Formats: sequence, C-alpha cells, structure tokens
Amino acid sequence: MPDLIPKITKTLTHNRQLWTARYSPCGKYLIAGGYDALILRWDVSGDEPKPLSPLTGHHGWVERIAFAGDTLITSDSWGCLTGWKYDQENPQPLWNVEQALDGWIRALALSPDGSTVAVAGNDSSIKLFAVKDGQLLATLPDHTDDVFSLAYHPDGKSLVAGDLKGVVHHWDLAEKKVVRKLEAALFSRTDRIQDCGGVRQLCFDAAGKQLLCGGMKEPGGGFAVGAPLVLVMDWESGKITHEMQHGDNKQGFVYDLAFHPTGFVMATSCAMPGTGLVWFWRIGEPAPFHVDKKLPNGRSLSLHPQHPTLAFVMAVSPNANGRPKGKDYLDGTSNIHFLTLAEKA
Amino acid sequence: MENNQQVVDPHPNPLPQGEGAWFHNISSPTCLSLPAMSSHPRCNAAEHQLSRRHFLGGLAGASSIATMGSFGGLLQPAVAEELKKQEKQVIFIWLDGGMSQLESWDPKPNTEFGGPFRAIPTSVPGIQVSELLKHSAKQMHHLAVVRSVSTKDNSHSAGVARIQRGDPKNRGVDYPFLGSAVAKLLGPCAGGLPPYVWVKPGSGGFIPGDGGFLGAKYGALALGDGKPPENLLMSANLTAEDDDLRNELRQKLNSKYVEQRRTDNSEANSYVYDVARKLSRRMDLFDETQVPERDRLRYGTHDLGRHMLLGRRMLEAGIRFVKVNSYGWDSHGDNFNASRSLVGKFDQAFAALIEDLAERKMLDNVLVIAMSEFGRTPKINSHVGRDHWPECWSVAMAGCGLQRGVAVGATTDRGHEVATDPYDIGHFFHTWFRALNLNPDEVMYDNHGQPLPIAHDECSAIPGVLA
Repeated sequence: MPDLIPKITKTLTHNRQLWTARYSPCGKYLIAGGYDALILRWDVSGDEPKPLSPLTGHHGWVERIAFAGDTLITSDSWGCLTGWKYDQENPQPLWNVEQALDGWIRALALSPDGSTVAVAGNDSSIKLFAVKDGQLLATLPDHTDDVFSLAYHPDGKSLVAGDLKGVVHHWDLAEKKVVRKLEAALFSRTDRIQDCGGVRQLCFDAAGKQLLCGGMKEPGGGFAVGAPLVLVMDWESGKITHEMQHGDNKQGFVYDLAFHPTGFVMATSCAMPGTGLVWFWRIGEPAPFHVDKKLPNGRSLSLHPQHPTLAFVMAVSPNANGRPKGKDYLDGTSNIHFLTLAEKA
Repeated sequence: MENNQQVVDPHPNPLPQGEGAWFHNISSPTCLSLPAMSSHPRCNAAEHQLSRRHFLGGLAGASSIATMGSFGGLLQPAVAEELKKQEKQVIFIWLDGGMSQLESWDPKPNTEFGGPFRAIPTSVPGIQVSELLKHSAKQMHHLAVVRSVSTKDNSHSAGVARIQRGDPKNRGVDYPFLGSAVAKLLGPCAGGLPPYVWVKPGSGGFIPGDGGFLGAKYGALALGDGKPPENLLMSANLTAEDDDLRNELRQKLNSKYVEQRRTDNSEANSYVYDVARKLSRRMDLFDETQVPERDRLRYGTHDLGRHMLLGRRMLEAGIRFVKVNSYGWDSHGDNFNASRSLVGKFDQAFAALIEDLAERKMLDNVLVIAMSEFGRTPKINSHVGRDHWPECWSVAMAGCGLQRGVAVGATTDRGHEVATDPYDIGHFFHTWFRALNLNPDEVMYDNHGQPLPIAHDECSAIPGVLA
C-alpha cells in the first residue's frame, strides 16, 4: 500500500476553540462542537462547505459527538446527552437526557449495530442509552476514576473503558461486569498531588484483533508536556505489542486517533501552543511514514466516508501570561483544515 | 511617623522590662545549622542584656505590645492578658503556581472563558462556586471570599515573594513573609512552640530568608513532608537530667560565644535550638497513627490533606502561624483535568479544616487564608491550559472575626476584569493584621531607626470583610 500524504486543500475558521469535527456517515455533513456549546454544521457536499444553522441547547463544552445512522448524538460537559436527526434543515432534538452523567461527558461510543450509545466521564460510571429514544438501558458503575475513553469491540459483546489511572477496563456487556483490566500505566502518573494523563483515546481495528490506546507517555502536571504515545494491544492476550511513540516531549497528548481503512494509524497530538503533530504510522514499522509538524495543536481527525479527505481540527490560541497590551481580550479560535490524502510523489 | 504609632524594632526581641528596655539579644551556637545570615552591626550592647528565659516569657508580651499602638513601650498587663487569652492564630494555605479562580471561587459557567465546569450553590443563598468545590460549598457560611483581587506580577519569581511579603512600597529592604511578620508581631503562643511553622512537601529545615529585614530568627521552621526536623529527638541514651546538664553547658558556652559575636546568626541559632527543644516535647504531633482514621480520610491521604490535617493539629498545639504549602498548581497545560485533580484535593482538605475549626470553636481566633501568587488567564490556550493572570482572581478566608458567608467584590460577566473596587495584596495585609488585632495605622517596624509600615501605607482593609 503506498504512503498517503495529507495536503491542505480548504480551511474553515471558527471564532471559538473546537474539540471535534466529524463527518456524518452519509458524507454530506461535517458536524463540530467545542467551547461555545454549539453544534456547528456544514453541508460539505458541494465544492465549498456551506454553513448551516447551529444546534443549540448544550452547556459548557461539547467535547464528544457520534453518529448512529441518521442520528447524531451530542454531549456536553454538564452531563447532557442529546439525539438529533441531523439531516433536517432545522433539526430539533429527538430526545434529550439533561443529566445523563453527573458532570463532564468525556467519551461516547456507538455499539456496532448502532442501537446503543455508551457514555462515560467524570462521574466514574458508564451508562448505556438507547439511540432511538434516549432511554437508559444500563449502568456500569464499578469505576473509581474518571473515564476518558470508550470503544465497543466490533463483535458488540465487549466495551472497553480507559481511565485516568491508565487502566483499560474490559466490560462483558452480557454479564455487565469487568472481566479484564488491561494495564496501560505509561499513560498515567502522579505528579506531586496531581493525577495526570489517563487513557485519552481507544480504538479497535475493524477485525477486533488490535486495540489502540492513546495518550501521553509519563505525563506531568504544570505545562503537561510529554511525548505522544499510542500503545497497541493484542485483544486476545491483552498484551501490549507495540509502543508507538513519536516526537519529543513537546508534542503532547494524543487527542485523536483512528485506523485508516488501509490499516495504518492516524493520530494527532497537542502540547503547548505551536506544538503537536499529525502522523501516520503502520503498526510494526519502526517509525511513522509521515509526520506533519505544520499541523500543530490538533484536536480531532475525521476521515470522509467516501473521499480521501480528512477533516482536521486545530486550536489557535497562543499562550500569554497577563493581558496582551493593546488587544481585545478574546478567546482562541479554531481552524478546520480539509486534508486531501494523496500518494507520496 | 504619627504620634500614635507603635514602633516594633525588628532585630532585638521586644521584651517588656520596664519602660524603654524591651530590647535584648540571645545568641548561642546550636546543633541546628543555618545558612549564612547577615549581621546587624547597629545593634548595641545595651540591647543585649536579657536572658533566654526572659525572652521566651516576653514574646507573648511582644504580641501585646505590637497590638497596643498607643501605649508606646509600656505594656498594660490587663490588656496584654486579654490579648494572650485570645491567642490569635493563622493558617495560611499556599497553592503555589496559581489556582484558577474560574475553576474555584469565581466560576463563570457557560461563558466565553468559563470552561467546562458547572457552578453549584453553596450554604449561603446567592453565592455559587465551581462544582470542583463541592465540599467547601457546604462551608461557605464560614467563609469570606474576595473575588476582585487585582495584583501586579505575572511571574512566579516576583509574585510569590511580593504576595507573601505584602508588597509595601519599595523601601530598600526585603519585607518579611506574612508568617515571619506574624511571628514578630505576635510572637509564639503561650506554650512557646515555634511561632512560624511551614508544612511543605519535600525537604525541611530552617528557612531564614522569610524573615526579611526582621532577621533570620523570624524565619520559618519548615517541616518537610510534615516530618519533624532531623536530629530533633534526644538520643535514647540520654536521660532528662543529663540533657538538662548538657543544656546548661550549652548555655554557658553560648554566653562566651555571644560575647564575641553578636550577630543575627547566633541569635537565630539559639532561638531555633530553643523552639526545637520545645517542639521535641510534642513529637505526638508527628505521629499520624494518633489521628483517627476518619479524620485522615476526611482530609485526604494525599500530601495536601495530610499536611492540612497536621496544620490543624499544629494550631491546636499552639503554633501561632502555620503555612501549608502545595506545589504544582501552574496549569499551563491540561488545566481542566489538572484542576479537577488539584482543586478536588484542596476542596476535600479545606472543607474538613473549616468544619473542624468551626466545630472546635477555633474559628473565632484562627485566621484561615487560602491563596496563590495569582490566578489564571480567562483565555484558554491551545494546550487547554490557563496561563498567569494577576488581573482578577480570588482569595478565600475565614475566621478571626472576618465576616462569615460573604463574597466581596466581583469580576465582569466574562471574568476577565475586576468589576468592582480592585484589591491588591496590601489591602489583604491590612485586613489580616486588623483581624489579628494589629492596627497598621498604629504599629510600625523599626528597622535600625527606619520606621516601616507593617502593611502597604497606600492600602487599607477591605470593606465588607472585617466584621
């Protein structure tokens, strides 16, 4: 398989910072969420992205969104979970669970059959809701720490949950119990009294044989700098088979990762303003085949379902102690770069 | 200097021994080593006539003197006795690096800079705090929070010292840290335990630099990780009688030493030795197994919880000023996860402390202060962090006659500017000293004849905070 290299072809800007932008399964829409609690929408079926009216009703931050067929699931840091028919002109909530969790929803995962959304976050529980009507189906309460990441196994029988302490909990969904605790301790460290890091991202390959775990290697407090790290676990044995660490300790947390359909891993990281990477790496190779340092402060990557295009969210908010002189004091912004993937010349 | 101002000389130990004769010196070598300290050549022999016993007995008197600005050098026994009964104390919780005001005492939920967290109601109707302060919210009826703090330095190197020294105008001298100032102005409590103890992570020792121009003697006795100073305990092979004899010999040798070297070093060394001897009789304070498990769990088993619990026990034992230090609050990156972890731990311990002091009726006389060197930027940087922000931030206080259940001052809806009268650190020093019955309009330091205010002379106490 040839190496694919990303190239910026278009850029959208937003006047607030964004956490995520995802293509809809139909490929017609790009949906984003961030610090302004809006659900932003663009029709990307034409040559130029066409902004659509945003969806309102969330509070705090919108960090995670997910699609289940024609249903969009959105969540916020106040614990609210909402289902929408996203392809309508002015979508209204299909359902709304104001307190799906007590506080910040950090992770969403859709069951492979699209019927259930798993939700987890700062209240140390995992809850399963029906996609069709938002009904609570089950609560998996045995976590003791914040849960940052979730992923369904492709067989739909297992759910994995990554926590602050660097543990990946393997839930048997039929028994509703934790059957394994997979250690990813490199992602967690106590720095003075601060619990740092955590398993920030989880992702299965299509066959369900490999589990990717993303975060920062041996994270610290303060500037929270460190090297981005993706661990590859063999699902059957639960053992770590590869440590994919690239870049120095300025490159930060892995904020998003995914398998490309051809099998390589795509990831983006972010540390201090101006640092962070986008990189593509085949598991088993000693180094990434592509590293892009001109795409720093990445927050999310989403591959178009039909086209070789990545929607890449980048935060733009320089650091500064005290008030910058002579400037309006405004929040940072975001760029959404559309990256076309093409074979390396 | 106005006629009604009381001058407190920073170098000699104020001791009431007749009118105008409350200066003395104590000097001795000790087994506790100290870093090099400057001498004060302007001290004169007449100031060095009194014994250690008088000094120790007199420190309580010193506190009285300091508070009785209109009495000149005279001590009025009745007033002094009353003040001694009150035994004002301070616990100063220092969150080094800068706690975010937006993730603690001044939340702006659902606004441009508000971040992800919610605001929650407190025990005082109308006052809300961040959801990360869920325990402290229940103690709000004891607290006085100032939300319109506006200071100047946005660097740690300048900010830490400036804030803890109170930043009087540049007088050409290093002002004492608050703990040293209180140690000087109020002296030890009646039991004679060290007046200024600093419970901190990491290493301990005696920290003379905190004393500033007051001199090394007023430095901090730092208890690294809450443990007693090394070599504090008497050897098990030494009987109490032998120890007394040894001490007698030490004092004789000290006398000869002092005759030749009247320096701050010898004063401070002797002083530290003496308070250390007193502290050595309270080793129970360092035995965590004597603390009910329920308390350990309430405060938290992390360093900040353990150290705040030790702080409470130090207050109960009669330490005048306890500083409890926590490091690692400088959340330039990943601020919200950092705050969730850090503020949560602070909240647990702080709420337990306030609850305990209130239950024990200690809040009437214990001043509680929780603060950093600055707040954190409203703007969130690309690393999901907040940087340094001295322009508007919050300080939480309680006890010692401060108003209870108030939030004083406000910031704008966006939280990026002070919306009411701004208060710099000088205002806080005025407020704290007044709460401790020290009137900055009347009490001054005397630095070798140079009168110096104990708090910034262009500031005043914060309205609405003092009861």
